[in-house]
Amino acid sequence: MSSHYEAPIRKPLVTGNKSYHDVSNDIAAAIEGKANKQWWIVFSIALAAFLWGVGCMIYTISTGIGVWGLNKTVGWAWDITNFVWWIGIGHAGTLISAVLLLFRQKWRMAINRSAEAMTIFSVIQAGLFPIIHMGRPWLAYWVLPIPNAYGSLWVNFNSPLLWDVFAISTYLSVSLVFWWTGLLPDFAMIRDRAVKPFQKKIYSLVSFGWTGRAKDWQRFEEVSLVLAGLATPLVLSVHTIVSFDFATSVIPGWHTTIFPPYFVAGAIFSGFAMVNTLLIIMRKVSNLENYITVQHIELMNIVIMITGSIVGTAYITELFIAWYSGVEYEQYAFLNRATGPYWWAYWAMMTCNVFSPQLMWIKKLRTSILFSFFISIVVNIGMWFERFVIIVTSLHRDYLPSSWTMFSPTFVDVGIFVGTIGFFFVLFLLYSRTFPVIAQAEVKTILKTSGDNYKKNRDKK
Amino acid sequence: MGNHKKYWKSELELSSDSKLIDKLANNEFVEDLPVGNLLADENSLENSNASRRDFLKYLGFSTAAATLASCEGPVNKSIPYVVQPEQIRPGISNFYATSISDGFDFANVLVKTREGRPIKIEINNQSKDNSPNARVQASVLSMYDSSRIQGPTIDDQDVSWDQFNDNVKGQLDSMKESNKKVVLLTQTFASPTNELIIKKFLKKYPNVEHIVYDAISNSKALDAFEISYGVRALPTYNFENANVIVSLSADFLGDWQGGGFSKGYAKTRVPKNGKMSKHFQLEANMSLSGANADNRIPLKPSLQNKALLKIYDYISGENSGVSLDVDLDKKLKSISNSLLKSNGKGVFITGIDDVGAQLIALKINHLIKSNVINVQKLNYTSLGDDKKVSKLVKELSNNNIDGLIMVGVNPSYTFPNSEQFNESLKSLDLSVSFSMNNTETAKLSKWVAATPHYLESWGDVEIKSGNYSLVQPTIKPLFDTAQFQDVLLNWSGSSNSFYDELKSNWNKNVLNGLSWNQALHDGVFYQNSNSKKLSFPYTFPNVNEFVNGLKSTVFDDFELTLYSKTSMGNGQQANNPWLQEMPDPITRVSWDNYMTVSKSDAQNLGLKNINDSNGALNSNFAKISISGKSLKVPVIIQPGQAKGSVGLSLGYGRTSGVKKELQTGVNAFDLYNNFTNVQNVTIESVNETHEFACVQLHNTLMGRGDIIKETTLEIFNTKKSSEWNYVPSVSLNHIETLVTSPDVDIWDEFDRSVGHHFNLSIDLNGCTGCGACVISCHAENNVPVVGKTEVRKSRDMHWLRIDRYYSSAETFSGDNTTKDNISGLSDSLSVFGEMENPSENPQVAFQPVMCQHCNHAPCETVCPVAATSHGRQGQNHMAYNRCVGTRYCANNCPYKVRRFNWFLYNNNNEFDFNMNDDLGKMVLNPDVVVRSRGVMEKCSMCIQKTQKTILDAKLERREIKDGEFQTACSSACETGAIVFGDINDEDSKVLELKEDDRMYHLLESVGTKPNVVYQVKVRNT
Repeated sequence: MSSHYEAPIRKPLVTGNKSYHDVSNDIAAAIEGKANKQWWIVFSIALAAFLWGVGCMIYTISTGIGVWGLNKTVGWAWDITNFVWWIGIGHAGTLISAVLLLFRQKWRMAINRSAEAMTIFSVIQAGLFPIIHMGRPWLAYWVLPIPNAYGSLWVNFNSPLLWDVFAISTYLSVSLVFWWTGLLPDFAMIRDRAVKPFQKKIYSLVSFGWTGRAKDWQRFEEVSLVLAGLATPLVLSVHTIVSFDFATSVIPGWHTTIFPPYFVAGAIFSGFAMVNTLLIIMRKVSNLENYITVQHIELMNIVIMITGSIVGTAYITELFIAWYSGVEYEQYAFLNRATGPYWWAYWAMMTCNVFSPQLMWIKKLRTSILFSFFISIVVNIGMWFERFVIIVTSLHRDYLPSSWTMFSPTFVDVGIFVGTIGFFFVLFLLYSRTFPVIAQAEVKTILKTSGDNYKKNRDKK
Repeated sequence: MGNHKKYWKSELELSSDSKLIDKLANNEFVEDLPVGNLLADENSLENSNASRRDFLKYLGFSTAAATLASCEGPVNKSIPYVVQPEQIRPGISNFYATSISDGFDFANVLVKTREGRPIKIEINNQSKDNSPNARVQASVLSMYDSSRIQGPTIDDQDVSWDQFNDNVKGQLDSMKESNKKVVLLTQTFASPTNELIIKKFLKKYPNVEHIVYDAISNSKALDAFEISYGVRALPTYNFENANVIVSLSADFLGDWQGGGFSKGYAKTRVPKNGKMSKHFQLEANMSLSGANADNRIPLKPSLQNKALLKIYDYISGENSGVSLDVDLDKKLKSISNSLLKSNGKGVFITGIDDVGAQLIALKINHLIKSNVINVQKLNYTSLGDDKKVSKLVKELSNNNIDGLIMVGVNPSYTFPNSEQFNESLKSLDLSVSFSMNNTETAKLSKWVAATPHYLESWGDVEIKSGNYSLVQPTIKPLFDTAQFQDVLLNWSGSSNSFYDELKSNWNKNVLNGLSWNQALHDGVFYQNSNSKKLSFPYTFPNVNEFVNGLKSTVFDDFELTLYSKTSMGNGQQANNPWLQEMPDPITRVSWDNYMTVSKSDAQNLGLKNINDSNGALNSNFAKISISGKSLKVPVIIQPGQAKGSVGLSLGYGRTSGVKKELQTGVNAFDLYNNFTNVQNVTIESVNETHEFACVQLHNTLMGRGDIIKETTLEIFNTKKSSEWNYVPSVSLNHIETLVTSPDVDIWDEFDRSVGHHFNLSIDLNGCTGCGACVISCHAENNVPVVGKTEVRKSRDMHWLRIDRYYSSAETFSGDNTTKDNISGLSDSLSVFGEMENPSENPQVAFQPVMCQHCNHAPCETVCPVAATSHGRQGQNHMAYNRCVGTRYCANNCPYKVRRFNWFLYNNNNEFDFNMNDDLGKMVLNPDVVVRSRGVMEKCSMCIQKTQKTILDAKLERREIKDGEFQTACSSACETGAIVFGDINDEDSKVLELKEDDRMYHLLESVGTKPNVVYQVKVRNT
């Protein structure tokens, strides 16, 4: 650490007079205690939704994609919308843990663990869709370049869908490793505190024999830095590649060179919104208000505001380029987005993603917990609509008017989406009861610089 | 054969009492297996190599192996030929020439059979008469209809044919004795041999009267011709001679007077040496002919009568005293003038069901000395007589008739007062129905004679005078059926079979000593027309007596015009899923009939078309009432429908002998009073929702002039092609470069000069939108039928579709101008909104679209598993086995021609059509795989056909001639609008077309470089 001194003008990142021991107690509380009634209620709801989604998936796979609302003109709708939405949400984790680490943003320490957990859980949801959206998902392994006995059969490296396969699997594995590395000292802390033998056994297994030697810490720091360096390009690449699914096509409204930065900004935007959604609840129910402070939420709101503005600029640039291109199909595609049969989706997207984050300019609003929660939900909805607008409104009216039609989801479309939300929360709720939800080891490193008691004492001198 | 050889194992076997030999013979294992030793002795057990793990492994393996061995694979029973037929070689198709004559469709066809099964109808190139239309193309499936009657029945009891014949004969004899009247009610056969046989029958039973009945009548036209020329027949028309075509409500590209005019018509429609014919259409409903016309004037039937008189006035110089509004009058005058100036190359035809109108039409043609109409060569395909049928109905209700023998007709369905008829039918002493299906009539008849399909029958037909064709069986009858001719011969007491009669009649009266086998091979035989020159008394009656009748027709409310739909005709093939799923060329609605109404009338009546949230089309109902009867029908708002008129198609609403899912629409024959297609009706809206299955939900071209390029004949003749066939350009280093230039191509071009390179050319001038290619493609490529609910979800599977566009302005060029004049955002918002609505009387354009087989295919690059890739010969291949079904290719296809198997469409009770039915599956083409669920499919450019051609030529060590390469669509296109071939063949027609000035690629600016080319549509306006 460069310095133990932090300017008094900076707000403390840990409040409530915390000592090192308090930190350990607070973080371990959720794991060592018993789940309360609310947790069980929420968990049951999430599990029910998840099982309902599993039912819908089984129905789809056993009967055919026809149980969805797709048709000859609109070949993708909720499936890929959900896929991109979840991938986008999964973006905040890496950004917070890797990019903010490189930029030495210490406020990330309170949120990076949960943000990364969210990343992994949402990438799992996202990964489901490319598989179940296939007509013959039992052959999904054909998209992997596995040497085979079928002669010269090989994957098509020109296809952006194949790039997706690599991008997502890389992202998932790097995120997982990064997350677990960070978890080691924290698991070790839980292990050391554990009184039940079974619990002790499990946590010693997952902490990979962490001893806390100086060498351990040195390696830990090095690996974190290396992984951060590796993960940083992934922040840009994953969503860039996802955007290639559309950008490399010939469909007006998809064929757009602005997509890579636009998608990346949108992903960070939605990811931060989801982090906000989750942490605002978690800090309350797990009594972590002293670690995830209003200061943290405000900083995230600022990121949301900035990325929201980038996304807004991209939307308007798209419209401008459509007009400027002079290509009639392009012009019509964007006119149709805003004023065609799906105008409501477009304006829902515009309202949620462009207008609502602008309210964050007002300090009172961006420091209001309730308002932040509200906006985070709004942004999540808006970003879902963004993908829906891009996919469905571009497809439903493309080149030949004879093929124009509409898309309407079935209960299965909705069921699978709700199911993935359920699955996500099942995982997240289990995580919140079994994992140290805050990187306590890291928080402890800043306690003496950014803890309110230490800061106060220092300022008094 | 017994084998007496003995193999010696050892010399010990020579001695019969050797114990060792006995032991060896009784024991399978020479030595005892050491199982007991092993298990008993603890030491040896411990020393053995087989560990407990090994034991478990062996146990596991043996259990698994035993289980697997006991699983039985699916057993497909197949019966080998006892005697291998000489002609049938597995994998090689045989073709037979035959003809269809079902009373509504008459055509010469070539039938493709595989392994003894007819699977496809093709055009018979020897034929000078009608080519197969969509219904005839689909008729092969009607043979494999599991709901067919499988044997004769009396009172619904299965009987043998001998019992059946004896029973009917006994009944007939007793009726003959008591002189009870019997009527033989038949379809139009146009068959010389049938005529002989019926004559024989009538001779034996003089109490029988033969009445010919056409469900959709041409009786008025026949009357008029008989009055004028003394012969009861229809004239023929040589549209290839036409320069000016004026059609007043005659859908001659549809089913008017039996159809079959498209071929000649199309010849005059493709501009040649700067010339093409000019086609005026005056009509109430938007018909196929109206859609193809250069100039279409919507006129309701009452005005049609007046317009007819007016045209007659202008041509004859008489004055019938009709007054019309000035604008219309002017148009009629100019139409009349062009007819007068046509120099014998004009023709005037009308579909008005009125003797006077038909007489006037004949007279007009006479006055303008039309060479198009040929009164020497007669059309025999519709000979029904309304007067006799009306008399029959009356006599039946008066109980003056005691017996009815019906062949090829379904009066319980097609009579306007069918209930009354049904009552009479039930009370008859003799009611015999010859029928393939358990039709409405067969259901009520006491005797039902199961007849074979035409592909299982012998027969002959004289479609036009002197043009004879033969009907020959292409498969042994599937069921215990008998042709009505054989039965009738039996009843007449003849021991001859119909085949004998047919052959002897032909040898005696038709062939003039030429070979029967040759005629059977060709399927057609043309008598030298000079040998039988007809001489007619040209006794034109004074048309004035009819003028008043026409003038005074008064309609007080709505004028309904009944018509037959391209897909369903008169409803005989209602149980054919291909035809049910075939979209109507005009409305593009499948699985339904409906009332067509103009937009303004719909507004006044409160009739609505609304799109559901998934885009599907809904409407409310209209109640059509006519003298006490009423029908509740769904509504389609039809651009081009004359105000004050409505249309409704016949042929729907079948309820008997038709599967539940295929019982669609309403029976409009209920309104077909007096066998007249125009009726005076009142209409009110009914507030219930009907759900349509319409494959095209957006009707206008939105000013996208590069999708259907068109120009006028004048511009085509005078301007450079770059003006009317504009190729878009892009900026390359600030230089405008054509998109076709290799400089703006991001891909390296392959060398395609070696081998074959297939191209398909579609001439938008030649295409009339008839849809024969759609069915042909369906049949050739085993395209599944998905049913109404799936079509409604925009999931139709047609590999080839015919897009139909209406102009939003009066003309398509008007649309382009509107779009080009858009300035500013607010303008574009409103103008594009308006352009979604077609004009009240729009121009219409058809465009067949199938996979464009792009050389730079957007679908190929995006498939993650390379399931779709390009072939050496230009095709875009689809490897179904490799497809995992991501649908990315379909999304990225600018032409939206890829079709996804959303469900399993075969062997699935949810899709109970021909592919879920052992009999229906017989029609499948063995050369084309049936696709499984979850894979993408699309047009393959009939690769199975091109490969066959290539392999045949290779075997015969010869070069392939142009024209040998065909696709299902090109071979079904009687107008020659679709041409397929190899552009590496310098003499090929398709290369010539590809280099034609009119050639363009669909969506050239996308840079896909398709192998399908279109020819610019030229309108003679």
